[in-house]
Amino acid sequence: MKTTEIFSSQLPVGEKLSIKRTRFEPTHTTSKTKLKRISIVSGIHGDELEGQYAIFLLGAWLKENQDSISGIIDLYPAVNALGIDSITRGFPVYEVDLNRVFPGKESDFLPGQLVHALAMDIKGSDIAIDIHSSNIFLKEIPQIRINKEFSNATLPLAKKLNCDFIWIHDAVTVLEATFSHTMNELGTKTLVVEMGVGMRLTKEYGTQLLNGMLNLMKSEGIIQSDEVFEQRTPFSSEVGDVFYINSPKSGLFVPELDHCAIIEKGQKIGKIVNPLNGDILEELYSPSEGIMFTLREYPVVYEGSLIARIFGNTNNEKN
Amino acid sequence: MKKIEIVKIESLNREPLLIEGYLFEGSDPDAPSVAIVGAMEGKTILPLYSASKLVDFLQNDIDDAKKIKGNILVIPSINHYALNLDERFWPLDKTNLNMMFPGYEEGETTQRISKRLFDALSGYDYGISLETRHDLSTCLAYITLFKSGYEDLEAAKMCGFRLIHHKELKPTDTVSLQYNWQLWGTKAFSIVSPSDTTINPNTAQSLFNGLMRFLSKSGILDYKVLLGYDSNIILDKDIEIVKTPKSGIFIPTKKVGASVKQDEMLGKIIHSLEGNVIHRIFSPCDGVITCIYKNGLIFENALAFRVAKSI
Repeated sequence: MKTTEIFSSQLPVGEKLSIKRTRFEPTHTTSKTKLKRISIVSGIHGDELEGQYAIFLLGAWLKENQDSISGIIDLYPAVNALGIDSITRGFPVYEVDLNRVFPGKESDFLPGQLVHALAMDIKGSDIAIDIHSSNIFLKEIPQIRINKEFSNATLPLAKKLNCDFIWIHDAVTVLEATFSHTMNELGTKTLVVEMGVGMRLTKEYGTQLLNGMLNLMKSEGIIQSDEVFEQRTPFSSEVGDVFYINSPKSGLFVPELDHCAIIEKGQKIGKIVNPLNGDILEELYSPSEGIMFTLREYPVVYEGSLIARIFGNTNNEKN
Repeated sequence: MKKIEIVKIESLNREPLLIEGYLFEGSDPDAPSVAIVGAMEGKTILPLYSASKLVDFLQNDIDDAKKIKGNILVIPSINHYALNLDERFWPLDKTNLNMMFPGYEEGETTQRISKRLFDALSGYDYGISLETRHDLSTCLAYITLFKSGYEDLEAAKMCGFRLIHHKELKPTDTVSLQYNWQLWGTKAFSIVSPSDTTINPNTAQSLFNGLMRFLSKSGILDYKVLLGYDSNIILDKDIEIVKTPKSGIFIPTKKVGASVKQDEMLGKIIHSLEGNVIHRIFSPCDGVITCIYKNGLIFENALAFRVAKSI
């Protein structure tokens, strides 16, 4: 195990910004073939911490099982180090979302230099996983987001990650500035994990993803182990539709369901209330049967604020 | 002049967000029309001021309403909620309205605002978005025109600004107002000013003059104005980026707009704890300084100056 600084920048007053990678690789190898390499990233958004825990669990497992390592595993737990330590989603001072400035370049502004250094360090990896935690407003069940453009290569890997849902979305131009698009373009099969909620840890999700990452690495020959790792069969958006429930009114959202619930069409999701006068402004019901994979965590809503996402069946909805 | 409601969004604890436009109807049905959008973000004081001064001028200083030939819609502020809190983006979820176009009526709050706004802005011959720089720079007021394939350079030239940055389109630009306006047939461009939090009278006057020149030259307003520049068209390759290899306290010794010679000193970096000069910054070429980093503390390898080569 070796920790290396992949990017640094002297800050104005007595401190250095340092982005670090820890690499695990076989202590002894006789193989003449190129070792497979996986890179696991978290903290591109400074308010998302679930990935830090999942990477901690993976690092701890690898330290305990050094002899199992048969490929290269690179861990980048804190890409937006300054953001994480200041509860800031974007890159502090510049107010820039790092996941909208890839691939960056050396001559770019500081956030662009940072993401460029990250992309160049990961370039050449066979697989990359970018772990996100939604944001402070929404809680997500462990899920994989895949751009349709790259799904032939990435979907088989996603199914091994022990997540509950795989969402294949259309290509959107603005998302070309993300880490995953950049790395997929550079030839690294890259998956985006969303799970949990911003600024918090969900221990069971961390453990679930750990099993998925180990399962994927085992199947790809990056680790060798007799241990059987859990591999859930995820729902996939290939065979259904995603329904969005946005708040029709501004107010305080009070949920009626637990997260990740299997729900029926017409089941109550929650209500929008006004604390000032005790009025119930709106009651919200599911438009379809299915699985609710996103639920609002932060109660204050404006008209349009996302309340929930449900994966269901279009035909059922129409019936 | 008609005051028209563009968007109204209720809030749990604040007064509703009411976005209003000032519509000055033209006297000549054959004259072109223009929509001008002011502060879409908070912390955009110059766009707010310029747009509101234009409303004042059109309302109170035009002696004959018939001089307004084409329709002029001015929306001085979109994001009152952010302006009033000194926030840059939508205060609840920090999303950027100018990354939500063309908007979506069934989507998130800022997507809905953008959709309703875009509906009100559609169909104008010309569109001007008043913006501030997104990075930590102060700058000359200039025009940004995306190379979208739908842009109209001649429209941008009518403002008579010294510089037009004809810039390559980035993925994130495809969700901006300017790009979507262009896509739907409006000759749109952005006037970019510094993100100063106070009103610099010279910059404010130059913005106002640019708008007036545009209205006059486009035939929308029958009003005599002083000529501006025959604008320099600046491509990305024409800009020399000057970075500092050292972090510390940044002291620029030149101002934006200054003409400089190659190897002329532009600024220096002071060690933030020991006070000594640890780096001097020199111009890599002859040209004009278009942007200067605006904070007193500067990061290592941060962009300190932009110099447009040999204008």
